[in-house]
Amino acid sequence: MHDSTNPPMGTGDGLKLASQNLASGAEPHLDHDGTRRQNGTVFSDLYERLRPECEALIAQYPEKRSALLPMMHLFQEHEGYVSQNAMRAAAEMLELSPAVVESTVSFYTLFFRKPVGKYMLQVCRGLMCEVRGAGDIMAYFREKLGIGHLETTDDGLFSYEEVECLAACDRATCMQVNLEFVYDLTPQMIDDMIAAMRAGTYKTKPLVQTAKPERTWKVKQDAQVGTGRKSPGTLNSSEPNNAGGIGDPSGIIMLDRFVTRDVSFTGRTQERTVRDARGVYDVIEEEEGKNGNAGH
Amino acid sequence: MPVTKVLTAGIGEANLRDINVYRERGGYKQWERAVREMTPAAVMEACDKSGLRGRGGAGFPTGRKWQFLPNNGKPRYMVCNCDEAEPGTFKDHMLLEETPHLVLEGILIGAYGIGCNHAFIYIRGEFKEGYEIFMQAVAEARAAGLIGKNLFGTDYSVEVTVHRGAGAYICGEETGLLNSLEGKRGEPRLKPPFPAVAGLYGMPTVVNNVETLAYLVPILERGWEWFAAAGTERSKGYKIVSVAGHVQKPGNYEVPVGTPVRELIEIAGGLFPGRKFMAVQPGGQSSACIFEEHLDYPYDYESMAKAGSMMGSGAFTVFDDTTDWVKAARNSIRFYAHESCGQCTPCREGGHWLERVLDRFVEGRGLRGDLDMIRRVSTTITGLNLCALGDSIEPFLMSVFNRFPETFESRLLPEENLVKA
Repeated sequence: MHDSTNPPMGTGDGLKLASQNLASGAEPHLDHDGTRRQNGTVFSDLYERLRPECEALIAQYPEKRSALLPMMHLFQEHEGYVSQNAMRAAAEMLELSPAVVESTVSFYTLFFRKPVGKYMLQVCRGLMCEVRGAGDIMAYFREKLGIGHLETTDDGLFSYEEVECLAACDRATCMQVNLEFVYDLTPQMIDDMIAAMRAGTYKTKPLVQTAKPERTWKVKQDAQVGTGRKSPGTLNSSEPNNAGGIGDPSGIIMLDRFVTRDVSFTGRTQERTVRDARGVYDVIEEEEGKNGNAGH
Repeated sequence: MPVTKVLTAGIGEANLRDINVYRERGGYKQWERAVREMTPAAVMEACDKSGLRGRGGAGFPTGRKWQFLPNNGKPRYMVCNCDEAEPGTFKDHMLLEETPHLVLEGILIGAYGIGCNHAFIYIRGEFKEGYEIFMQAVAEARAAGLIGKNLFGTDYSVEVTVHRGAGAYICGEETGLLNSLEGKRGEPRLKPPFPAVAGLYGMPTVVNNVETLAYLVPILERGWEWFAAAGTERSKGYKIVSVAGHVQKPGNYEVPVGTPVRELIEIAGGLFPGRKFMAVQPGGQSSACIFEEHLDYPYDYESMAKAGSMMGSGAFTVFDDTTDWVKAARNSIRFYAHESCGQCTPCREGGHWLERVLDRFVEGRGLRGDLDMIRRVSTTITGLNLCALGDSIEPFLMSVFNRFPETFESRLLPEENLVKA
């Protein structure tokens, strides 16, 4: 049932396994998140090293759980991404179930649950940047790097993401390199930046890389660890043909509103990609017929 | 020109990140005075009388927010909201990085004013540099005996915890922020109970914006009368306005509340030569656009509401005639579709529906039925969500959709126009 990329998190087993491993030190099979470490370190060494820091973080808050985000930042700083091991370790220290930890971590876009490139290039796609030419800047990046949104180059050097407003609209267009701001972008700056990164002379420190990144660091819903049940609304919603849970039963609630409220629905349904919610659309089409809008 | 530097005084002239520079300029004097000479009730009174209203977006009177705290003997918390992510707003980012000690002093005074011993600041995950600068400021203040136990020889103690988010717009919503601070998913809570009654860890909590708290320092320094004298009758004091978009000198400009819209555009260098004014979005991405006929409205909470929009967080984005309104609307909707936490169906589904419909328009493949659909879905989303994010999807889209219908119609599939004929 569990392959190497899907460790049994969210089960009592997983927790026990984790605590045994973490307590006994350098167990080789601790690194069972399927990623081979390039520098040959074992997670438990890192865990032991960071433990005092984690405890200091926990002590800052009236309740332990508050330290979850800072701890994940800390582990990500040392591992380059939030590994399954890190989430397990946090679960143990904070006395949470690993599933709870993962469900929280997955909510936040700055936690990468898979390895990423050494330079995380996050270009602002906000409206204020867009009206000042972010579209061209983003196109230039894509062309120059040969990758798209949420992708990493094959050499593992660059990861590229188009992010929401970075709160630097007075110096648009802007971006962050490993969370350090770069303002007033021009194609010339991008050329220089990428050349300097390739040469290893760029001013911002590269991210730690403990494992080889894949093409994308986005975790597909299906690959997420858990009980196998998907919670409503968490379908991988960025794909154009499966946007935001059409086909997800909770979406029917909204569709139902159109029907029960006697609101006529004059959009043309054949344009939309409908998979499982066919029945609901039939009702809507019927409604359209009644209201005499179907033939428009 | 009405630019008045209060919070922004000294930025760009002195290194205010250095505690010594900040103290030479009178920094932390108000903090010391508050703890030594004032009662918490006096601080609360000054805040209330100044007429200061929340600068994070909702514009709720700060003094009244504080007064909602029940006297039930439970510990109270002060949380400073520095999860600035409203597109177009960049004032907290500047305050945090350029004058961290002022922000800290404001938080401390606010904490003292509500009688709390543990204050938090939630900094947006992307502001890593700001976070580091602020951590440094807290360490310096602690070393200087400005944070800690038995301050200035009194029995008042306060602790400050700096918490960094991890990339979620919704954590700027106060209950989402509290959940995130508790180590949970940043999903907003059902209200009531409001945070004043049951907030952080279920205790009475005040969540205030960075700029709101920072204004406490000049209010104590110069008296609430000084603050209340500026601005309009119901919107008092000063406001940092983040002017961006199609202006020559975008930036943060601190002005008395009620400065006319036209003047704000001029302060920011005016439009580019040869361009024509089209619209202003006066309160961040969540606000409706206002147009030429509103240029002489004063920029305050009431007038912006009268113009059908809001002052919000003070993000003031100017659009000229080079703007592609269909693209702009799509951009705005994509933002909400991306940032919806997914709890409430109308917001989660509706955002994506609109995004997909607008994608068609951007590609010039709109259908005539879509025009109606945009209107219907927008009204359906509004008012049915736990928090304001869902209600923020519609204003910008509908304001430009109603104002420039021909732009949207021009993106219909050619055969759709035949249907009309």
